[in-house]
Amino acid sequence: MRKALTEFSIKRPWIVIGLAVLVTAFFAAQFPKITIDTDPENMLPADEPVRVFYQNVKADFALYDFIAVGVVAEDGAFTPDLLNRLYRITERIEDIDGVITRDIMAPSTVDDIKQGAGGVLKIEPLMDEEIETQAEADYIFSRIMDNPIMRGKLASADGKAIAIFVPIESKDISHQVATQMRQITDELGGSYTYHIAGLPVAQDSFGAEMFSQMAYSAPAAMAIILLLLFVFFRKFKIIIAPMIVAMMAVIWAMGLLILTGNTVHIMSSMIPIFLIPISVLNSIHIISEFHDHYKRYKHKDATIRHAIGELFLPMLFTSMTTVAGFVSLALTPIPPVQVFGLFVAFGIIVAWFLSLTLNPAIAMLISTKTLRNFGAVDDEHGVLTSIMHGFRSFAKKNYKLVIGGAGVVVVLAAIGLNMIVVNDNPVKWFKKSHPIRQADVAMNNHLAGTYMNYLVFSSDEDDRMKDPAVEHYIQDLQRELEKEEIVGATTALPDIIKKVRYELFEADSSKLALPDNSNEIAQLLFLFEMSGGDPDDLFKFVTPEYSQANMWVQMTDGDNQSVSRVVARANDYVAQNPPPPGVEVEWSGLPYINIFWQQKMVTGMRSSLLSSFAVVFIMMVFLFRSIKWGFISMLPLSITIMAIYAFIGYIGKPYDMPVAVLSALTLGLSIDFAIHFIQRMRMIYNRTQDFNQAYHEIFEGAGRAISRNVLVIAIGFVPMLFSNLVPYITVGSFFLAIMIVSGLVTMLLLPSITMAFSNGLFKPSKKANTEAQAGSSARVS
Amino acid sequence: MKGMTKLLVLFVIGLSLLGTNLVAQEDANAIMKKSHMTYYYAGDDGVAEVKMTLVSSSGKEREREFTMLRLDNEDGGNQMYYTYFKKPSDVARTSFMVHKTDEGNDKRWIYVPAIDLVRPISADDKNSSFVGSDFSYEDVSGRHWTEDTHTMTGESELDGKAVWVIESVPKEGDDSFAKKISYIDQETYLPLKEEYFNDKDEMTRRFSAVEIEEVDGFITMTTRKMEDLDKGSHTIVAFSSIDYNVGLDEDIFTERYLKNPPRQYTN
Repeated sequence: MRKALTEFSIKRPWIVIGLAVLVTAFFAAQFPKITIDTDPENMLPADEPVRVFYQNVKADFALYDFIAVGVVAEDGAFTPDLLNRLYRITERIEDIDGVITRDIMAPSTVDDIKQGAGGVLKIEPLMDEEIETQAEADYIFSRIMDNPIMRGKLASADGKAIAIFVPIESKDISHQVATQMRQITDELGGSYTYHIAGLPVAQDSFGAEMFSQMAYSAPAAMAIILLLLFVFFRKFKIIIAPMIVAMMAVIWAMGLLILTGNTVHIMSSMIPIFLIPISVLNSIHIISEFHDHYKRYKHKDATIRHAIGELFLPMLFTSMTTVAGFVSLALTPIPPVQVFGLFVAFGIIVAWFLSLTLNPAIAMLISTKTLRNFGAVDDEHGVLTSIMHGFRSFAKKNYKLVIGGAGVVVVLAAIGLNMIVVNDNPVKWFKKSHPIRQADVAMNNHLAGTYMNYLVFSSDEDDRMKDPAVEHYIQDLQRELEKEEIVGATTALPDIIKKVRYELFEADSSKLALPDNSNEIAQLLFLFEMSGGDPDDLFKFVTPEYSQANMWVQMTDGDNQSVSRVVARANDYVAQNPPPPGVEVEWSGLPYINIFWQQKMVTGMRSSLLSSFAVVFIMMVFLFRSIKWGFISMLPLSITIMAIYAFIGYIGKPYDMPVAVLSALTLGLSIDFAIHFIQRMRMIYNRTQDFNQAYHEIFEGAGRAISRNVLVIAIGFVPMLFSNLVPYITVGSFFLAIMIVSGLVTMLLLPSITMAFSNGLFKPSKKANTEAQAGSSARVS
Repeated sequence: MKGMTKLLVLFVIGLSLLGTNLVAQEDANAIMKKSHMTYYYAGDDGVAEVKMTLVSSSGKEREREFTMLRLDNEDGGNQMYYTYFKKPSDVARTSFMVHKTDEGNDKRWIYVPAIDLVRPISADDKNSSFVGSDFSYEDVSGRHWTEDTHTMTGESELDGKAVWVIESVPKEGDDSFAKKISYIDQETYLPLKEEYFNDKDEMTRRFSAVEIEEVDGFITMTTRKMEDLDKGSHTIVAFSSIDYNVGLDEDIFTERYLKNPPRQYTN
C-alpha cells in the first residue's frame, strides 16, 4: 500500500497535486460560513447544571453580567468636576446599544433613602443633576458611605475612586460596549484615568484580541520556518513543499470544523498554530533524508523511494502518537477542548498523508537542474553535524554520567511537580501592561471588587425569606465571608432591611439591626416599595415571592484559587451551621463557573494524559515489538513532560487552561524524536549488524534531521513570545521547551542507554537482513 | 401687484392653518380635561375594594388587596386618598394616606403596624412605582392635564368605539415620558388606551382599559392594566364594591385614622 502510494505520487505528480488542490479548495470554500464564539462559559456544555443554575439566577433576580467603569483620583475623586463628568458619561453610556439602562449603578442613577425636612422619610436620586459646590460632592460621598448597598461599589472608603456598574444584555457584546465606553471617557473624561474592568470584558476582549493575534502569529511562524528551512536546504522550490503541506492541513482541518457546524472557539482558533509545527516536522524529515542522500543516488525517484522507505514507519508512528495525544483530549469533559483535540488530530492525519504524497509529487516537478547542487553543501562539515558529533562522543564517554544526570533531573522534577499550583484567571490572560490588567489592579485596589459571585438561598416556600431566622443566617454568613481578604463586600437582603429600619427610626443607629418578627421584615420591605424605592433594586436580592434570596459576594481577586477559598469557607460554614429547615445554599456567578470548569478540566486532563500515555506505550511496544524498547522510547517524553511541568511548579506559574491543554502537545511531540532515533538506529543495526556502526551513523542523517526540527520549531514560534496575551507566550515557550528538552534527552540519554545496555538491546539477528527495509526490521528480543 | 396677491393668499392660508391648529389644541385640551375629571373625580367621594395583580416578565403573580377611600376637596382640585392594606397578610393593616394638591407638593404618610409607627414619607420622583406595581403614583392619582401640551392627531376606532387620538408632550422637561398618545372614548371620555414613549421614541409603557361599567350612575373603569414594555411585566387593577358619594368625613384623612382605620369602610 505504501509502495503503491509512493509510486503513484512519483509517476502521477500532477494528479496528486490536482486532487490536493481540489480538496483544499472545497474546504477553503467553507470558511465564509465561520461562526466565532468567544464565550468562555461555553467551556461547559449548555446543559451543565452550574450554567443552567446561573442562567436561572440571572433570570430570577433580573441580574446581568456587568462592566465596571472606574476612575481613580489620588487627590480625591469626589469633586464637582469629576462627578459632573461622570454624570455626563453615564448619560452617554445609557444610550449604548445592549446596555440595560434601567439597571446602571452610578451616582446619578441610584436612589438614596434619607431623612428629609420635618421628619419625612425620603427616597430620591442620589445625584439628579450636575452639582456646583464641593459641599454637594462631599455630601454625595457621605451618603454613599452611609448606604450598605452603595458602599464599596460606587466609592472607595478613602474617596479616591468612583465606579459605575453597567449591566449588559449579553457577555458577547462586552468588548464592543467597552470600546464605546472608552470613546465616551476619552471625549468627556478630562485628564482623569478611566478603567474598564470586569470578567466579561476580559473574556470577550481576549476572544477578540486572540483572533487578531492568530492572524499575526500563524503567518509569522510560517515565515520564520520558511526562512530557517532556506538556511538549511538553500532551495526555495524544495522547501515550499512543507509549507504547502502545512497550509493544506490547516485548511482541511478548519474547513471540516466549520463544515461540521462547530463554532470557532478560543480553543479551536489555536488549531493552526498547533498544526503548523506538527505537519512541518514530517516534511523536514523527508527533505532532510532527500537532501542527505540525493548526492548519493543522483536520481530523484530513487532518492524519494529511499527516503520514504526509511521514514514511512517512523513517520506513521510519530503521527499516530501525536494523534493519540490529541484524541485523548476528547476524554476531557469540556466541549471546546474535545473539538480542538479531534480536529488537530484530523489535521495531523492529513499532514501525514500529504507529506507522503504531496512532498514526493512536488519534488518530482522540480527540474534536475535546480537540484544540481542539492545536498552538495557538505553536511559532513556543517555546524549541525559537528554539534551532533559532539553529542556522539560525549554520550559515548560519559554515558554513566548522562544516565545519572537524568535520574537527578527526574528526582528534581518530581519535587517540582508537587509544587504546581492549579490556578487561572481570565483577566491574567493579558500581560501586566495591558489596559485590562491595569484596570483590574486599579479598581480592585480601591473598591470592593470587580468579581461578582452570588450565594443563593432557596426554599420551596413563598415568604420563607422574611423569616428572621433566615435573615440572621444570611447575615451571619455575610460576616463569615467578609473574613476572607479578597471579599471586598457582601450585599444581601438583611442590609436593605436594616437600612430601611434605621432610616424609618430617624437614623437611630440602635435600630440598625434585624427585627425579630417576620411581619416587621415584610412591612419594612413593603415600606421600601411604598415609599418609591425602585422595586427592581429589591428584587436583585430576593425574588418577588420571597422564596429565594441572593447574596452578592464581591471579590477583589478573580484567581480561581482565591475564589475557591471563599467558596470553601462558605461551604464549611454551611456544613457546620446548617441553614434553617427547608433552606438550601448554593453558589453561582461567573467566577464560580470558572472554578467549576477548571476542576473539571484538571481531572479531565489528568485522565486524558494518563490514557494517552498508556496508548503511546502500547503503540511503542507494538512498533518495536519489544517491551524494553517501548519503555526506553517513553523516557524522553516522560522526562520532557516532567521537566517542563516541574519548571512551571518551581517558577510558580499557575497551571491554567492553556498549560493543561499543552500537555497533549508535549506528549505528542516529544515522543517523535525518540521514535526516529530508535527506529532508525535499529534499522542501521539490522543492516550492518554492528552496534558501533549503528551508534556512529545515527548521529548523521537522523541526528541532523532531529536537530533541524528542534531549531525550526523552537525558533519558528519565538514571535509568540512577544504577544500581549499570556496564553500565546505560554504556547510559544512550550514549543521552545518541548523541542529543546526532548531533543536533548533524545540525543544524550538514548545514546547513553544504548551504550550502557548495548548487549541486551542489540542482538545479532539469526538471519542477517542486509536490506534497509523498515517493515521487516523489527524483530528483536 | 401679482406677487402681492400671492403673498396675501399665502398669508391668509397660513393664518387659517394656524387657526385650525389652535382650534385642534383647544379641543384636545378640553377633551383631556373632561377625561381627567371623569376618570379621577367621579362623584364627591368614593370607596372601593381594590385587587392588584403584579405579573412579572416570567409570568409569576403577586397580589395585593386594599380598601381605597377618596375625597375630593374641590372638583378638579385637591383630593385626599386613604389606602388600607389587607393582603398580603404579613403587611395587613398597613395604611397609607395622600393629600394631593394642585401645586404638586403632595403629602404622604405611612403607618407601619408591626412597630406601630406613622412616618411622613416623600418620594420626590413622581414616576416612582405605586406599591411596587407597574403603575406610578401619578397614574393612580392623576397627572394634571395642564402639565402637558395636547394635540389632536386624529380620530379612530378602538374595540368598536370611536376615539380621539391625542398626543401629549410635557411642557417641562419631564423624565417620565417624552410623549404620550391617548385614545379617548368619544362617548364616555375615558382613556381606553395610553401609550408612553421615551426620548428615543420607543414605547416604554402601555395603559389599557379592560372593563368599564356604570356604577351609581357614574361611568367607571373597573379593571385596568399597565404594561412595562421594557421589563416585560404588567399589573392589573380591579375595583369592586364601588360606592360613590358616601359622605366621607374629612377627619378620616388624618394621622389618627392611619393607626385606627375607619372600620365601616375597611371591613
